[in-house]
Amino acid sequence: METIQHSTIKVNGINLHYAHITPTTTSRPILFIHGFPELWYTWRHQMLHLSSLGYRTIAPDLRGYGDTDAPVSPSEYTVFHIVGDLIGLIDELGLDKVFVVGHDWGAIIAWWLCLLRPDRVTALVNMSVVFSPRNPVRKPIESMREMFGSDYYICRFQPPGEVEAEFARVDTALIIKKFLTTRKPGLLCVPKEVGFGGNPDTQITLPSWLTENDVNYYADKFRRTGFTGGLNYYRALDLNWELTAPWTGAQIKVPVKFIVGDLDLTYNTPGVKDYIHKGGFNKYVPFLQELVIMEGVAHFINQEKPQEVSDHIYDFIKRF
Amino acid sequence: MESIMKMVDVNHHRIKTNGIWMHVVEKKGQGQFVLLLHGFPETWFSWRHQITHLANHGYHVVAPDLRGHGESDSPPSPSSYTMLHIVGDLIGLLDHFNQQKVFVVGHDWGAAAAWHLSLFRPDRVKGMVAIAAPFFPRDSNIKPSQFFKSFGDDFYIPQFQEAGRAERSFEKYDHLTVIKKFLSINKTDLIVPPPGMEFIDFLETPSTLPVWITEEELQVYAEKFRDSGFTGGLNYYRAMDLSWELEAPWQGSKITVPSKLIVGDKDIGFEIFTKGYILSDVQKELVPDMEVVILDGHHFIHQEKPQEVSDQILSFLNNLTI
Repeated sequence: METIQHSTIKVNGINLHYAHITPTTTSRPILFIHGFPELWYTWRHQMLHLSSLGYRTIAPDLRGYGDTDAPVSPSEYTVFHIVGDLIGLIDELGLDKVFVVGHDWGAIIAWWLCLLRPDRVTALVNMSVVFSPRNPVRKPIESMREMFGSDYYICRFQPPGEVEAEFARVDTALIIKKFLTTRKPGLLCVPKEVGFGGNPDTQITLPSWLTENDVNYYADKFRRTGFTGGLNYYRALDLNWELTAPWTGAQIKVPVKFIVGDLDLTYNTPGVKDYIHKGGFNKYVPFLQELVIMEGVAHFINQEKPQEVSDHIYDFIKRF
Repeated sequence: MESIMKMVDVNHHRIKTNGIWMHVVEKKGQGQFVLLLHGFPETWFSWRHQITHLANHGYHVVAPDLRGHGESDSPPSPSSYTMLHIVGDLIGLLDHFNQQKVFVVGHDWGAAAAWHLSLFRPDRVKGMVAIAAPFFPRDSNIKPSQFFKSFGDDFYIPQFQEAGRAERSFEKYDHLTVIKKFLSINKTDLIVPPPGMEFIDFLETPSTLPVWITEEELQVYAEKFRDSGFTGGLNYYRAMDLSWELEAPWQGSKITVPSKLIVGDKDIGFEIFTKGYILSDVQKELVPDMEVVILDGHHFIHQEKPQEVSDQILSFLNNLTI
């Protein structure tokens, strides 16, 4: 972990913190994009492993997280803002093209990086969240409400401040533990009466792949920043839909490897399995070269199976 | 008005695109699709000469009233007029006509729309012609409204920012006079009113019309703006900063589609500003595949020199069709 360096630069109007390992000045770069509710830290295993193989690994805290700035309004968390931050980052580092690795919200951002600036991406390894084509007439939140109900977590995340208050009823470390250790392969629906915090006395046994130190790293950061930055990504979903009209029907035109655990709640969302296995996914990602379904693995795949994921990444990017 | 409109032999359509109703005119040739995009303060009618000329040479021509203009919808808020919204409308239009890849010609704000269509969806553009408005690099530190203030606090773009201000100043005049003032502009320096004077007051009302336009033709525009008002068109200016903020992903991005830029050498600011830029290395690097043509004319050159501009467009399209 000592080999991981930390820097902060000003890009796209914000101060962006990123972790990195640079073996040599000519090492080929990999940009890692984390999701919710995580940080650069989720990529620690992959960074160490891939840098030992000669790659320059770069993992920012995205806008709204950790040691990066967190603007207040959800309207500053569109995919255009986040991709703008990342383009600013790779421009500042003097990089022409990068490999990209994404997970959860980071996978969504990675899909959009490929759609908006395919010229900057050599190849993509994405995890957990498939690319969803834009429906030209239906907005995302109303679709989700109709399909999955108002207790569906993305619907619950919408009203500013509400879920923050639920999180605040329990210790931040417990929130982190609950999210990272969840293994229920179904829709995440949490009624208000239950609350996202749940019972503050809940004891959670940590799996072998997650230590108290790991939990505390996340918890310390989120205790300081709160969760509003991360939640704002969800609150910008309808605005994203409005602004991404130009890419209705557009395809991802970079080589892709996609990895998901079969217990992941995203894989088990109604419609997703058919989309992945019956041709929908391939239609929008025509250069989907490899698809990996990891048995018995849940949502936080790169932390649950760090070596396998590192190997999968290397196995793919070494071809380019 | 009806008789003038009928003299332009086109089919009128009303299509749903990107959540709005868009009025488009179409003249169908057997050949390739060309999209014509007007600027401010105009409508599809701006292209009346080119529509006929291009269709006579076999092209399938479509010219919309852009969002905020003519008979198309005008959402009330400036934040609905970013280049993302406009290009979204155009993608919906192309999908409606089942067109995968098209030629695009734009003037003024229509040229900005064409540049951004080429930037966001180069896979949908075979080639584009911009008239009067080049593509400028995005400055990562300076918002457009700030930049244009450097020409003067009373330059028209800073004046157009404040909601309602330009509309109120236009109200002093009938719609025909407003259109007449704009289309007759023959000042070649950057138009900066003295402090406290509104842009529209600073523009002259000519005693005689330019030779290239008639009172009847101006009435066509006036009637449309009487119905729609000017807010829709002005909202493009008011959305510039938001557009800029959302265009961060394209910082430093080049335009890769084959392009042609046509500018009049008496257009506003040509000598002191535009000419230097369009022949510069910065421009060449930003749009590497661009031919620059400088013609004798003012801002509305496709109406002032219709034959020349049509010929320039045609030669560009024909070269790409080989």
